[in-house]
Amino acid sequence: MSIIQQVSNATLNDNWRTINIDALDPESSSNFDTSTLHPAFAPVSDSEARNIGQQVRQLLRGGDAEGALRGALESAPYGGDVAVKEIHLQTVTEVLQSIKASEMTPMLQRIFQSEGGSEALDVLMKYLYKGMAASSTSKTPTRGSTLTPQSTGFSQMGGRPGAGNESSGAAMSVLLSWHEKVVEVAGLGSVGRCMTDWRKV
Amino acid sequence: MAAPEVHHLFHHPIADHSFSADKQTLAVARDTSVELYGRTGSGFKLKDELKGHDKTVTSVDIALQSGRIVTCSQDRNALVWEPSPTGYKPTLVLLRINRAATFVRWSPSEMKFAVGSGARVIAICYFEEENDWWVSKHIKKPIRSTVTTVAWHPNSVLLAAGSTDAHARVFSSFIKGVDSRPEPGVWGERLPFNTVCGEYLNNSAGWVHAVSFSPSGDALAFASHDSSITVVYPNGAEQPPRAVLSINTQLLPFMSLIWNGESEIIAAGYDCEAFRFQGNEGGWQLTGSLESKGRPGMGDAREESAFNMFKQMDLKGKTKDDTQLKTVHQNTISTIRVYEGAGGTVRKFSTTGVDGRIVIWNA
Repeated sequence: MSIIQQVSNATLNDNWRTINIDALDPESSSNFDTSTLHPAFAPVSDSEARNIGQQVRQLLRGGDAEGALRGALESAPYGGDVAVKEIHLQTVTEVLQSIKASEMTPMLQRIFQSEGGSEALDVLMKYLYKGMAASSTSKTPTRGSTLTPQSTGFSQMGGRPGAGNESSGAAMSVLLSWHEKVVEVAGLGSVGRCMTDWRKV
Repeated sequence: MAAPEVHHLFHHPIADHSFSADKQTLAVARDTSVELYGRTGSGFKLKDELKGHDKTVTSVDIALQSGRIVTCSQDRNALVWEPSPTGYKPTLVLLRINRAATFVRWSPSEMKFAVGSGARVIAICYFEEENDWWVSKHIKKPIRSTVTTVAWHPNSVLLAAGSTDAHARVFSSFIKGVDSRPEPGVWGERLPFNTVCGEYLNNSAGWVHAVSFSPSGDALAFASHDSSITVVYPNGAEQPPRAVLSINTQLLPFMSLIWNGESEIIAAGYDCEAFRFQGNEGGWQLTGSLESKGRPGMGDAREESAFNMFKQMDLKGKTKDDTQLKTVHQNTISTIRVYEGAGGTVRKFSTTGVDGRIVIWNA
């Protein structure tokens, strides 16, 4: 009995198939910094991002929603740190929320057909995904408690999801309707480019 | 435009395919073996099976003049199959790689072939007379990830490779005693082995699925997973390229591409159909699909009787049979190859994919 136990313990420890050999190989691709693969981005400071935000809001107040959207998308701070990117996400989200649903498609089509428009919509797509990720992570702590396991095996939602956070639910629905419209105009290719692109927003 | 010639070989993905020079033999990589089909009238008939690999065969290529077949597999080996009166005889190639072999192509001279691999190297293989053996030399630097595809320059020295680190690169694979010294050209003047003649990355940086030199060899195109194709016009050694043109599309990514002359590229992939790009150094654009959508039997113009409609709704819960794609291929196209052409222009090309079909198209 004890011998069997020893043997099985030994084989478990010697299970060479589970060894991460890449960690032991200095030449392994998992041991190098992937950021060296592409050119570095110019750093963007906190105040610059705020400045851009001000300018974009000014355009928005002036009634030029399309200009505000383009401006916000073209000045994405790829080289900024997390805080700077968060500020710019706020700016973009504000612009998106202030545009009426009926204006979305014509505006996207105008942007898409203009010079560099397909690029701008790719950036927009990145912000949509980032926005959705942000509003879902802020909800996660409450989600566990609203799910009550039932004896039938089904889980039932206790109360409306995101009920405590009405504004994030609304923000999500805006992002979702933008997502639908962007895919209609820029195609599925733009979703793929969100995933591959190194210029993270 | 004449309708494409469609052959459904089996219900299994085709990793790669290759035709012999006389187009009478078709080799397809299916699972762990390579099947050879012979042309019989209007169809293809299985005539031989090359069994030698014990893992999925990833790529197959038939040398046009010698008739030798090279195959490579996830079992980290490459085999050269020599035709003989009693069938094909395999010879193992010393690749010296510790990851799967992903892609193999004969050089136009047929003296060498290149094998891409997950070990972040490209093995350039050539026959060593004194040892009677296929040996390999490795191109290592500066590849940072799996090599997914390779393509030869017409001079058999330069080799383009695409990798999952999102770069397309051009290397020299010059081997003394095998190659004659290449003419200096747009890619560089002195070309010792492993010279990096170019390294290209586009903005959205998808991993590269396919690379190809233009017929003259003076331009390079690559397709990556960001649904784009990128065309590079180099400008001599140590100089930045004259133009790098990236065409982002609204479509799904392309898996494979070929040049048709210097001003047209045909690419196909996850959209299950082939698309045409046209352009030059000034700019490239997507001009459309090669599929003619209104093929008979495929259109939904058939008049439905009300009775039939309700019957279908009752039986299947829907009125239209939408289990078939409108394209000829019913799944991703993974390989596109020139079938018939002259002087760089393509008259016919062949495609295979995950659906087990081979289709021969008029370009």
